[in-house]
Amino acid sequence: MKEGSGEEQNVAPSVYSHVSRPGSHRYKNAKKGLPFNVMLVGESGLGRTTFLNTLCERVVVDAAGKQVSSEQAHIAEPMQFKHYTVEMEEDGMKIILNVIDTPGFGDGIDNENCFMQIQEYIEVQFDEVLAEENRIKRNTKFKDSRVHALLYFITPTGHSLREIDVELMRRLGSRTNIIPVIGRSDSLTPRELVLFKQRIMNDIAQHSIPIFSFPDAEEGDEGDEENVEENAELRAMLPFAVVGCEEVINEDGRPVRVRSYPWGVVQVDNDAHSDFDRLRYVLLNSHIGDLRDRTHNEIYERYRTEKLSGTVPAQAMALAGDEPSVLEAMGMQHTVAA
Amino acid sequence: MSATEASGKPQASAGGIGIANLPNQLHKIVTKKGTNFSLMVVGESGTGKTTFINTLLTTELIEPLDDATRRKKQLDKTVDINIHKAELEEKMFSVKLNVVDTPGFGDYVDNNDCWLPVVDFIENQYEQYLRQEQQPVRKGIVDMRVHACLYFIRPNGHTLKPLDVRAMKAIGARVNLIPVIAKADTLSPTALRQFKKRVMDVIDAQSIRIYQPPVESDDDHSTQRNQDIISAVPFAIIGSTQEVKTEDGRRVKGRQYPWGVAEVENDQHCDFKKLRSLLIRTHMLDLISTTEESHYDKYRTTQMKTRKFGEPKPKKSENKKFREEEEALRKRFTEKVKLEENRFRQWEQKLIAERDRLNKDLEQEHNLVKQLESEIEAISNAGSPNNKFFRK
Repeated sequence: MKEGSGEEQNVAPSVYSHVSRPGSHRYKNAKKGLPFNVMLVGESGLGRTTFLNTLCERVVVDAAGKQVSSEQAHIAEPMQFKHYTVEMEEDGMKIILNVIDTPGFGDGIDNENCFMQIQEYIEVQFDEVLAEENRIKRNTKFKDSRVHALLYFITPTGHSLREIDVELMRRLGSRTNIIPVIGRSDSLTPRELVLFKQRIMNDIAQHSIPIFSFPDAEEGDEGDEENVEENAELRAMLPFAVVGCEEVINEDGRPVRVRSYPWGVVQVDNDAHSDFDRLRYVLLNSHIGDLRDRTHNEIYERYRTEKLSGTVPAQAMALAGDEPSVLEAMGMQHTVAA
Repeated sequence: MSATEASGKPQASAGGIGIANLPNQLHKIVTKKGTNFSLMVVGESGTGKTTFINTLLTTELIEPLDDATRRKKQLDKTVDINIHKAELEEKMFSVKLNVVDTPGFGDYVDNNDCWLPVVDFIENQYEQYLRQEQQPVRKGIVDMRVHACLYFIRPNGHTLKPLDVRAMKAIGARVNLIPVIAKADTLSPTALRQFKKRVMDVIDAQSIRIYQPPVESDDDHSTQRNQDIISAVPFAIIGSTQEVKTEDGRRVKGRQYPWGVAEVENDQHCDFKKLRSLLIRTHMLDLISTTEESHYDKYRTTQMKTRKFGEPKPKKSENKKFREEEEALRKRFTEKVKLEENRFRQWEQKLIAERDRLNKDLEQEHNLVKQLESEIEAISNAGSPNNKFFRK
């Protein structure tokens, strides 16, 4: 694992990738690197950018750089999609991590448009793959930019999900693997955190929000028992409580990633202080294969079926969720520029 | 009494006539009367408003909402105004305290105009007071004018959101606005300093009016303290009603984390004590008097310039939700009217048809009668020569 080296922005060149080949976490694409696309969504100030820097163990984005002038503070900035690519090495496996940040989400007074923009972005990636598959002569250098996982940052109110949280996860849950995350979780005491997590999961169940719930594999795979246990454990940890690292201090000669307060020091990699380490492991190691597989085999396939049978309406998807029969009944048309 | 001086002022005798005793008399009067203080808290849910109030008053004035109510509220899409009343008594001095809460503010996907209910409430209190003052009998005026409004800013560490800017502008123009950084225990000291500076920059650039406590005071100690208070704006606060034990064994009000205890009353950790001082210990009277003399007066002047004495305030409903409801109701009304009109028209048609039918029948009968009449005449004419013949 690379330690915080304080390097500046990484500029990895575009990489080769194979569109239709499923990847498992044991798949070693040593030379070329396994592409993994993650989208970060959440209101500003929840630690998205810091999370990105902490995940990649280097300053990928300078959070302080993007300040709006005070005179313009009353105008809401439109949402943007910012792309960052970092080469990571995890357990002997090379990963090309593509992160899509969404600054401006939820920052306006009326945020109705944000959901549609993200949905369109995700669908455009699917359309590109669809078009590529249907070509007579395929491009071997095709870059698969389908979103494999979407980390949604929840505000640590301590109460329950807000309207914007519910709406976003409901509308996008069928288009990508949503992993809910509590940002700035160091503002909650351990007891408050437990209650908050419970309430969130209750809300998610009540609204039938489709999130990535660490499903167990259907067929027998190696280490089956372990996997089932592991998945159950991860399910109980949802949503992951993360804290972003602001500095690296030296403790007994080892560098430790922390946040310092007058009343104490939060250790980012300490499982008692935050779930960051676990989440990192899930994303880059234990479940990278599952996330990629599910995106390709389930989510993309479903989208493909709907698109090709001519019943993919943008609005209906938001309303109907996973019910293709409802969509057919609606019979609305939708074309997305490929 | 000695003669007047050259300046023309009568000089009091060395003993004085006792004017200097007035403050003591005032003290007795005020102590007996007590005072009335209204505090408003505005901010998104989950910013610690309820906890702060309960911490400030060291009593659970506002009960935290239970889960079911909170979930329902999230689907409500309205901003409510809840008033909690309490009477505080300390050393024989009593204060009638009103706390106004605003659940639903800024909580939804579309928060357009969510500050309007807040602004309307503030202005309505001025209006109520104005009207009561104009009554022939002025005893027992109910004064709910808001003396201070705490605006809870989410500690996102970057800047004020457009919603905050617009809401604070509207509120600050009408009431003493005190910006507060909520849940400050999530910002490191450096980040907090930067955030405070950033917030004040935006407040200045956007011409948002916030409460400026008077600095100069009689003694240096007070002046210094006032300066401390002013330099801490916006106040970073942590709220907690629970007592916890710190590492060095003290029992304090605070929040217990695995990595330490964030203390409420520790000036190194947050500005709670300064804000409490501002609200209660040192500047409560100033808050009350600036509300009465400055904000209320401004409202009164503008209203009296445009309205005649005793005329009610023109109502303007700018609330988008109300407008939508109004539209929907109007549509339903017109539809209902249309339905009824159709029904009446059909009824009218039926009646006309009936009338025509009856007329026709009548005509037929009439013709029949005529026919019979003519037959009778014909028969009687034909029969009379027979009669003559028989009589011969």
